[in-house]
Amino acid sequence: MAEPAPQVLVLDYGMGNLRSVEKALEHVGARASVGAGRGAIRAADGLILPGVGAFPRAMERIRATGLDELLAERAAAGTPILGICLGMQLLFEHSEELGGAEGLGLLPGAVTMLDAPGLKVPNIGWAPVRWERESRLTSGIASETPFYLVHSFVARPSAADLLGTAEYGERFACAVERDSVFGAQFHPEKSSEAGLQLLANFAGICAKAPAAA
Amino acid sequence: MILYPAIDIRGGKAVRLTEGDFGRETAYHDDPVDAALRFAEAGVKIIHVVDLDGARKGAPVNVATIRRIADAVPFPIEVGGGLRTPESIADLLRAGAERVVIGTAAMRDPQFLAEMLEQHPERVVVSVDARGGKISLAGWSEPTDVDVVDAIADLTARGVERFLFTPIEVDGTLGGPGFEQLARVAAATSASVIYSGGVGTLDDLKRLRAEAAPNVEGVIVGRALYEERFTVDEALAALA
Repeated sequence: MAEPAPQVLVLDYGMGNLRSVEKALEHVGARASVGAGRGAIRAADGLILPGVGAFPRAMERIRATGLDELLAERAAAGTPILGICLGMQLLFEHSEELGGAEGLGLLPGAVTMLDAPGLKVPNIGWAPVRWERESRLTSGIASETPFYLVHSFVARPSAADLLGTAEYGERFACAVERDSVFGAQFHPEKSSEAGLQLLANFAGICAKAPAAA
Repeated sequence: MILYPAIDIRGGKAVRLTEGDFGRETAYHDDPVDAALRFAEAGVKIIHVVDLDGARKGAPVNVATIRRIADAVPFPIEVGGGLRTPESIADLLRAGAERVVIGTAAMRDPQFLAEMLEQHPERVVVSVDARGGKISLAGWSEPTDVDVVDAIADLTARGVERFLFTPIEVDGTLGGPGFEQLARVAAATSASVIYSGGVGTLDDLKRLRAEAAPNVEGVIVGRALYEERFTVDEALAALA
C-alpha cells in the first residue's frame, strides 16, 4: 500500500466479542485495534461500531461512557464510521426493540421488527444482497453476492441513504450510507471474501478521509 | 447443498479419528486455526468444529482454541463436543460459535433440550449418531437400542429445527456416505439435516447433491479434504 495503513478503531462498549472484526481488518491491511478511549477515538482514521444484543442495553452503555457525543463529534468531523449489525441500527434515531429506545441519530429513520410473517425470527443465514446504487463501500462486490446475517430488527432509512437490500419476508435495508457514516446489517467479518472486500473498501475510505484531529 | 468442512480438535491439534476411535487418530495440522484459514481462501460459508476432548469428557475442553478460530475466520462456525449444560453452551456462543451442536444431552434430558431451543433459536443443532441404525451416545462410546428413525421423529416433535446425522460405521473411512440411512433419517423429519460420514470422492458429493432429500441442507467433509482427495473449490462446485 502506497499510503500508510489507516488506523481503524473497533469500539468496545461491552457488547460482544470484537476480535473477529479486528482480525478481519488486519487481514485487509488496516492497523486495527479495539478500544473506547477518548484519545484513541479522536486519533483514529475510521471507527467501527459493532454490536450484539439488544438495542436499549447497547444505548445505555454507549451513553454511560459518553460514546454518543464522541460519535456525533467524529461524524461531524468527517471521520468514516461503519456500524455493523446492531451497530448499524444504533446509528438511527429510534428503535422499537424491548419497549423502545432512542439511538445515536446519525441517520434519519427508525428501527422496527422484521416484517416476515410465517418465517422464523431471528433471521440467521446467508442472503444475497442487492446494491441499490453504487458506492465506494461496495466497489468491486457484485450485486446479489451473499452476506451473513443474524437479526430480528431492521432499520428503515430514508431512500437517499439506502445502499443495499436483502429479502426475508420483506425487502429490507441491509446497507446504508450518508456522507461518511456507513452501516451494514450483515456481518462483513463473517461474510467470506465479499465481506473482507467491503472491509478493505472501508479501510480505503478511512485512508483517504480528512486527517484526524 | 452447503459444504461444512470439518475441523476436529484434540489436544489443541486438528485431527481425524477413524470410526470415532480415539486409538486411531491422524493429526493433520498442529494449529487448527491454520486449518480453518485454509478454508477461508476457498469461499467456504461455514465450518464444523468438534472438540473431541470435550466429547470424550462431556464438557468443552478446547474453548480457547475455538475462540481463536472464531476470531480468525471470516465465516460462521458450528461447534460441538461435550455440550451438556446451559453454561457450556453459553460459553461457546460467547467464544464466537454461531451454532452449537448437542447430542447426548438432547437425548437424555428433554427439559434441557427444550430450554436450549427456546433460549437460542436457530442456533442449536441436534446431533444424532447411529451404528447399525441404533443411536449411540457419549462420543459414540455408548450404544443404545433406540432406533434412529424413532429418535429423529421424536426430536422433531419436540421442536428441533436442524439435525446432524452421522452413521458411525462409515465415518472417517472415505468409503462413501450411508445413503440409505440418510434417506430414512431425512424422511423421518421436516427439519433440516446436515449429513456427516464417509465422504471420500467428488462423486460422493455429486450423488448426495443429486439424490438426497430437499431437507438435507449440507454435508460435512473432513478427512477427504485434509488428505487432498479433492479441493474445497472442487467440493463447492460438486455441491452447487
